[in-house]
Formats: sequence, C-alpha cells, structure tokens
Amino acid sequence: MSIATVFGICAACLVGLGLYGLIVQPQPLRKILAFNILGGGIFLLFGAVARRGAAAGMGGDPVPQALVITGIVVAFSATALGVAILLRLFEETGGTSLRDTPKESQSQETNS
Amino acid sequence: MNPETLLLSALGLPVAMLLGCLSARLRKMMQRGLWIAPVPALAAALFGTRTSPVVLSGEPYHVTLMLDASGSMLLTAASLLWIAAGFYVPAFFRGRVMTGSFTVCWLFTLIGSLGIFLAADLVSFFLCYALVSLPAYGLVTYDGTPVARRAGAIYMGFVLLGENLLLMGFVLLVANTPDGSLRIADAVDALQAAPSRAAILSLLIVGFGMKIALLPMHFWMPLSYTASPIPAAAVLSGAAVKAGVIGLIRFLPFDMALPGWGELLTIVGFCGAFYGVVVGITQSNPKTVLAYSSVSQMGFLAAVLGMGLSAGDASVAPLAAFYAAHHVLVKGALFLAVGVAAVTGTRRMGLVVGPGAIVALGLAGLPLTGGALAKLAVKDPLGYGIAGTLAVLSAAGTALLMMHFLFRLAATADQAPNKPASLGLVVPWLAAALLCLIGPWACYPYSGLGTPSEILAPAALWKTFWPVASGVIVALVFRRSNVRLPRIPEGDIAALGGWLSRLATACGAVFVKVDGVLRLWTTACLALLLIVVFLTVAMRAGG
Amino acid sequence: MPSEAMASPNAGFLVLALALPVAGILLVFLAGGRYGRGITLTLVLAGVGIAAAIADGVWRTGDALTYLAGGWAPPLGIKLRADGLSAAMIVVTSIVILAAGLYAPNEFRVAQGKSETRASLSFWVLLLSVWAAMNAVFLGNDLFNLYVALELLTFAGVPLVCLSGSPATLTAALRYLLFALLGSALYLLGAVLLYGSYGTLDIGLLAAQVRPEPALWLAIALMTAGLAAKTALFPVHIWLPPAHSGAPPAASALLSALVVKGSFFLIVRLWFDVAPAMTGAIAGQILGAMGAGAIVFGGVVALRQTRLKLLIAYSTVAQIGYLFLMFPLAAEPNALAGGMFQAISHAFAKAAMFMAAGLMAGVLGHDRIADLRGIGRALPITVFAFGLAALSLVGVPPSGGFFTKCLLLSASFTAGQWWWGAVILAGGLLAGAYMFRALMPALANSEIPLTLPAPVSRGREIVVLALAVCALLVGMFPQRPIELLQIGRVHLSEVAPQ
Repeated sequence: MSIATVFGICAACLVGLGLYGLIVQPQPLRKILAFNILGGGIFLLFGAVARRGAAAGMGGDPVPQALVITGIVVAFSATALGVAILLRLFEETGGTSLRDTPKESQSQETNS
Repeated sequence: MNPETLLLSALGLPVAMLLGCLSARLRKMMQRGLWIAPVPALAAALFGTRTSPVVLSGEPYHVTLMLDASGSMLLTAASLLWIAAGFYVPAFFRGRVMTGSFTVCWLFTLIGSLGIFLAADLVSFFLCYALVSLPAYGLVTYDGTPVARRAGAIYMGFVLLGENLLLMGFVLLVANTPDGSLRIADAVDALQAAPSRAAILSLLIVGFGMKIALLPMHFWMPLSYTASPIPAAAVLSGAAVKAGVIGLIRFLPFDMALPGWGELLTIVGFCGAFYGVVVGITQSNPKTVLAYSSVSQMGFLAAVLGMGLSAGDASVAPLAAFYAAHHVLVKGALFLAVGVAAVTGTRRMGLVVGPGAIVALGLAGLPLTGGALAKLAVKDPLGYGIAGTLAVLSAAGTALLMMHFLFRLAATADQAPNKPASLGLVVPWLAAALLCLIGPWACYPYSGLGTPSEILAPAALWKTFWPVASGVIVALVFRRSNVRLPRIPEGDIAALGGWLSRLATACGAVFVKVDGVLRLWTTACLALLLIVVFLTVAMRAGG
Repeated sequence: MPSEAMASPNAGFLVLALALPVAGILLVFLAGGRYGRGITLTLVLAGVGIAAAIADGVWRTGDALTYLAGGWAPPLGIKLRADGLSAAMIVVTSIVILAAGLYAPNEFRVAQGKSETRASLSFWVLLLSVWAAMNAVFLGNDLFNLYVALELLTFAGVPLVCLSGSPATLTAALRYLLFALLGSALYLLGAVLLYGSYGTLDIGLLAAQVRPEPALWLAIALMTAGLAAKTALFPVHIWLPPAHSGAPPAASALLSALVVKGSFFLIVRLWFDVAPAMTGAIAGQILGAMGAGAIVFGGVVALRQTRLKLLIAYSTVAQIGYLFLMFPLAAEPNALAGGMFQAISHAFAKAAMFMAAGLMAGVLGHDRIADLRGIGRALPITVFAFGLAALSLVGVPPSGGFFTKCLLLSASFTAGQWWWGAVILAGGLLAGAYMFRALMPALANSEIPLTLPAPVSRGREIVVLALAVCALLVGMFPQRPIELLQIGRVHLSEVAPQ
C-alpha cells in the first residue's frame, strides 16, 4: 500500500467526519469547524493525487499543490466570513441558534 | 384604397388610440370617441376581402393577415357591434365614474377581437387570442364588488387554462408542419397525416371550447356577463366569444371526415344547447338569462361544426360563420336593451320590448327576420336525421328562453312610469336591433342560400315559424300557470366549487408543512447526499 | 478543437470585463462610501459597453473569443473564453447590475455632512464583487478557476443578505453561507476526482479526454449536487426563501436574478461542455424531475404566502425549476436555448419584481399582501412594472417567459417526453394564480388614499419599468439572442440522441 493510498484513505475519513459534523452538529461554530475538517480532507486528497501523479524524479505534481494553496485561502476566507457573521449574530441575539422558525420569518419587518 | 392598407389600418387605428391613452388628456377625450376605433375594420371587412393573404415581413415572424369569407362576415358583425357599443358607452357612464382602465381594457379587447378574424398565422392568432381574453378581466371586474371579483377570478382561471392548452396544441401543430411554417392553413393541412392528431385535436377543441362555453366548461359565462357593465357585457358576449368560434372554424380539419370527433362535438354541443335553456329559464336577472342563451347558442354552433366535421364538409365553415355573425349582433343588441330597460319607465317599455321581441325571437328563427336566414343557413349541415330534429327542438327551446328573457326584461323597468331613456342609450340599441334584422338579408347573396322566392315560400316560412310559435306558447302557459321553477344559482356548477377550494386549501397546507420539513438543516443535507448517490447510480445505469 | 485564435480580436475586452469590477472594488475601498455610488455607476456604465463589445465580437467572428493570460496556454495557463452563452449572460448581468446601482436607495448613499455607514460602503463593494464574480463565472474555462469564481460569488452574496443587520437576516445569511460551503466542498471533491482521473481541469482538454467511467460519474454527480445546493434547486432550496426575502430590495434583485444563475451556468458547462454524452438519459430525468418538483412545489407554496417578498422568493424557487427542464431534453437544440432564455428573461423579470416590491414596501412600511390596497393609485408606474414582470413569469405573449415556454414545449414534444409539457402547463397556471393573488389587492382601491411618507423618486420607478420592459423585449425580438446562444457550441454535433 503506497503512501498515496494511505493518505487517500485518511482524506476519505476526514471528509466523512467533516460531513458528519456539518450535518449533525447543531451549533454554527461547530459546523464551521466541521467545514474546515471537510476542507482539510479534500486538500489531503488533492495531495494524494499530486503524489500519485508525480513525474519521474519529482516529489509531486506541482499543479495540485497550487490548487491546494488557493483552496486554503478560499477556505480561510469562508471561515472568516462565517465567524464574523456568527459573532454579529451573537452580539445581536445573545445566542447562536440557526433555527429558522416560521414565526420568525412572518414577524420580521421588511427593510427597504 | 388597396386591400393591404385596409387590413393594416383595421388594426392600426385602435393601436394608435391605445398609444394615445398614455396621455391622460387624450384618455378622457377617447371616452367619447370609442366608436371610431372599429370603423377601419368595418371598411376592411366590407371592401377588403381577398383570398390571398397579406404578409408583413418581420423578424423573425412573418405576420400574415387574411380575410376570407368566414372572417369577413364575423369581422363585419363584430365591428358593427363595437361601433354601436362605442356609441352606447358615453351615455351609459353619465353619472358614473369612468376610469382610464376601462378605456384601456376596452381598446385592448377590441384589438384582439378584430385582429383574431384577420390573423392567418399561429403567432398573431395566439397574440390576438391573448389580447381578446386577458384584458377583458378589467372589464368584467370593473364594478369592483366581491361578486365581480369572484366572476373575474373564475374567468381568468379558464382563460389561462384554455390558453395554455391552446399553446400546447399550437406547439404540436408547428412540430408537425413540414417546413415549420407558421401559417394556419399549412398547419391544418399537415394535420391529416399527423401522428399526434388526436392529441392536437383534443387540445384545440378543449381550448376553444373553454372560450365558447362548451359544457361543462361553461359556468364562467353567466358569472362574467352578469358582473360586467352593460356595454362590456355586450361586446364580450357578442364579439369576444367569437374568437373561439373562428378558432374552431380555422383549425378544425373540415377537409377530412372525422366521424368520431364530429359526433363528439355534436353531442356535447346539443347538450349545451338544451342545458342553457333549462337553466336559463330558472334565472331572474335578464343578463344571466342572456348568458345562458349564449351557452345554448354556442352549443348549437358547436353541434353544427361537429356535423360538418363528421361529414368532411368544408362548406360548413362560412355557414357557421354566418350564423355566428348574426348571433354577434343579436346578443349585443339584447344586452344593450337590458341597459335601456333599466332606465325606462314602465309606460315606455314598448320601445324596448317591441323591437326586443322581434330581435330575440329572431334568434329562434322568427320568419322574415335575419335569424330565419341564419337558421336556414345551418339546416344543410345538420341534415334531416336526429340532428335536424334536435335542431328544431333547440329552436323551440330558444324561443321559450327568449320569452322568459322578455318577461324578466319588462320586470326591470324603472319605477317612474314615464321616465324616458336618454337618446344616447336608445339610438345605439335601436341601431343594433335594426342591424340584426337587415344585416343577414344584406349578406345573404354571398351565402349561397337560394333565391328570395325559395326563402319566402310559405312552406319554408312555416318550417321556421312553428318551433318559434310552440316555444312562445309554452312560455305563455308557464307564465299563466305561475309554475315555481327551482332556483339555480348563477354559474350553476361554480357553486359546487366551495368544497373544491377547501380541498385545494388543505392540499396547500400540506405542501407548506412539507416545505417546513424539507428546509430543516439535516433533511436538506441528507437530500443533497442522496442526490449525489442517485445521480451516480443513474449515470452508471444509463451511461 | 475548432480553430480558435490564440487571442481573438476584441479579446482584450474579456480581461477588462474582469479587471474593471475588481479595480472598482479597490477604488471604492480607498475612496470611501461617499464616492462609492459615483465610482460604481461610472464603472458599470463602462461595463455595459464592454459587455456589448464582447457580444459584438462573438457575433461578428461567429466563434468564441479567447484570451490567454500571459500568453500561457492551458493546462498551466489561464484561458478566458467567451462563447455565445457567456456573451449573452454577460450582457444581461451588466444591465441588471446597472439597474440595481441606479435603483439603490438613498440609505446607501452618504448624504452631505453625514458620516458613512457600514451599509453604504458595503453595498457598493458587494455590488461590484457580484459583478466581478459573475463575469469570472461566465468567462472561466477551467474548473478550478470556476471554483474560485463561485466562491467569490457566494462571499459577495452572503453579506448582501444580512446588510440590514437584523437577527433574522443574520441567521438566514449564516444558513446560506454554510449550505453554500457544503455545496462548494462537494464541488471541489468532484474536481479532485476529475483531476486525479484525467490530469487536467481545463474544460476543453477534459472534453477531449473523458470516458464514461465511475470516476467521471461520481465527479459529475458530486459537482452537480454541490452546484444544485447553491442554485437552491428543489429539494435543497433550504436557504433561499428567508435569504431573498430578508435582503434589501436591490440586493434581493441581485441575488434572485444573478447569483443563483451563476452556479446554474456551471451545471450547464458541466453537462453540455465537459461531458455531454456521458451522463445518460436517466440522470437527465432525475434533474428534470427535481426541476418539475421545484415548479409545482414552489408554485403551490408561493400561493400560500401572506407576505409579498416571500411570495416572490418562492416564485424564484419555482422559476429555477424551469431551468432544469433542459437536462432531460439535452438532445434537442431547442432545450438549451429554452433554458438559457429562461435564465435571461427571469433575470430581468425577477429583478424588476423585487425592486417594485421594495418600492411598495417602502411606501407602506410592510409587505403583507392582504393590506396592499391603494398602492396601485399611489405608485402606478411601479405596479404597472410589477404587472409586466408578472406577465413574463406567467408566460403571456409576447414576453420572454412565453418564448421560453414555446421552446421548452416544442423540445419536450419533439423528444417525445410530453410529461414535461404537462409540468410546464401546471407551472404556468400556478404562476398565474399566485401573481393574480399578489396583484389583485394591489390594484384594488382603498377608501382612504394612501399618503406617501416620502416622495418616491420617479427615477427609481423608471428603472424598474425599464427592467420589466427588457423582459418583454427579449420575448418580442428573440431571434438575435437565440442565434447568439448557439455560437461557439463545439459539442452540439457530438451529442448523441439518447
């Protein structure tokens, strides 16, 4: 079993854990963390692909490495945005529930 | 003036007037000048008939206008009615509020109503059909009362459903036509060999049937015509409904003998003809009686077309158009009469009931009226078998219904015995009545019905007289005996709609609950993952 | 690959289409919210010109425009490609962005002597970001570039939802963000699989190499699902109703008209450009079934709404369903044209509708449908524009929506899949019903005439009317757009009938 396969299986586990957390955990902060785990798993998968596709004599395919760097930046911005909205929500309501009750949407006044 | 210019100006003037309505001042002025709009159309109908079409090349559609015999008869009648009603409007609205929306809706409906007789390609036909149906909502709900709004809602439901069905039929027609030509004539010719002929025919018949209130899609008619103001009811029942008639005339493949479809149409038509009479005599509002009379007459017309379709007889088209043209004028005139009667004192009702009786009974075929000619015209297609007998019975039924209408009309007279109706109301009414009587006689040389001596022979006169007479006698007997007829609500079937709407509301509530469940976070995420699984499996299976 | 010039004439405009909005973002940040409106409107006006130049270039050459950044070819270089689909959508985007910029209310404009608010700076930046992201989505030719563009679109759209800062909108924005992130994660996973199988992510190179195999199927499924989550396709429309109804009207217009179309555009690229004949008939039927579900479900739920903006949001859910009817009918040329036409006419009509609803709510202070009486008298132009947009959504001739229905109906009948025709019929009726329900109280007269709290600027009403008229114009003169959409479709002839 090559190292790329091991990392591939790791990546699959991470993706699974991330998906589980994102779906099941009710609190938004945990969802954001789960998304990061999910992202990590995908990047690891990219790395395994890079390792597997390496040309002779090279450590790894450079293209996926570039893609992973971009992906990390995107994931980081996503996390920052999510946390910022979460903080603001906490400031406004004192809680961090994502429940979208029908009463909420009916009583909200429109903003023009 | 060459015919092309006439055809174009027939639509050009109303469109120009509609654009003029953008200015508030012109809109006010136009209220008095609504009668001008159909005049070019009348000129086109009288002088512009030609067998070859006028094509306006545009991108990407080529608008084709054509005026054949059927179209020109209906266009003449329709434009005369629109002119008469246009004269009626200013007097009707004296003392009432007339908003700009009435004028705009009126002009839109007029454009559609006149254009539909000229349209010879699918696109402009559909456009005119939409124009004659949709803006009429504004006319139906003009009074703004809850009753009017309900009538308008039911009307719009049928309009949208009918239009969608027609759209599907038209799309199928275009798919069948060899070179994708959009001309109606080409499409109908290609219908002969079309594999989806049954689907196309059913879509077209149901779609147009909704417009002409074929049973059981008829109950919007009594509700709408009762709710509309008088001039609107006159043009809607007279001219606008004939869009469905011209649709059937143009789109049914009369060159082929289709006994199955023809018989179906005939049966449904006659059912409607008798149903309209039976329910109509239980109504007390004269407008509702007239609406049920329309249901009955349109059913009769559908039966005529059905007989023609069964026999594969293409000559039924101009004959049916002749009958329909007479109905345009009669129905419009009778609605105007209702308006005049409402403001006429009891002593002066003779001015209304007298001509009204002649016009109304002419619908049943009173000898020497235009109606007798119309009945004569459709005798051939109906034949002398069962259909012929039913036609005769239907004429008697119409006479009965018309007598009932006249009684109800007289009952709506104004309290003040000597109150005269204003000239602005009476003149259009009498003019329309006169046109009903002499119009068909003026047209008949073109209809191929035989020489005057044949038509005026005593045997022929008796044939049209005795159904009318029997109907009148039955009506008088009913009145004398004071029989209490059961009270059927206006729009008969619509009253059953209560439980249907409750069912619909319950279904809607279920949908909202399901939406609430679907919008839970876990459900949505699981659904997303399931989509991945299903798509992968599907691609594997189908790839 | 057909001969495409390494850098076609007019190709510089492709770069400008991306560079201008991004430069605008930086400029607005530097200059502050006070000049935000001026800078944005100037740039957007230029952008409309650029979009027209791109469309003209595509039309003239009869082929797609391409531009290689730095002169480096794929798979290592970045290629910008504008075919007919891209050009049409770029034009539509620039027009809607211009309208949103002109419409944006005064609270996004900083008055003399007042300090700028967060909203005034953010709105213009976000407007430019949405514009940049949309252009990037339409011009990108590499699945990873498209991922970045997609993320940019999401990050620009999410703050638009919570611009007002109320707790309900913050919740809606957070849900939108998290669900969209799940979608992007799935998309990225699919992209990894594609790269691992074929060694490239460039659309053109991929199209030449793909074979029907499990890796491809799984990748396409993952990417489609992820993009469907961002497009709010039934049944994963979880985030759309509260997000679109809670946002300020100009933002709602952008979100409904443009943002959801971006991810949809990528699904089209995937199914029609990357792997056109590999997906099989059943998968197409599944997408079509979800679209049909959206049409019926969205229509019925819209009918039950009591608030105007929620009704319009659910109408968006329903109209998005029409877009997906083109996938089961992919073998018919009319289907692609019909779907893209729906995207175009819905963009105009929905933007006009949200903006009109915003004006009405601004006057009344609420958007309860039952209490809309008298608004027809107070804001005649607005209600008229709303009515025109409604006509397009219902599909009344001669609007764009009507032409869409014609195209989709003819495609479904020619393909023998008449059940989509029945769905379109039902959708039209439901749309008619809920539009009727929304318009009737608006047209009814109230006993007491409404007093407007502040005069509504005639200019804003005209903008709304112009958008609604665009929706009509697209239907009245459809020939040119249809031909434009066909340009540069390299794989049309290779699509085997299923």
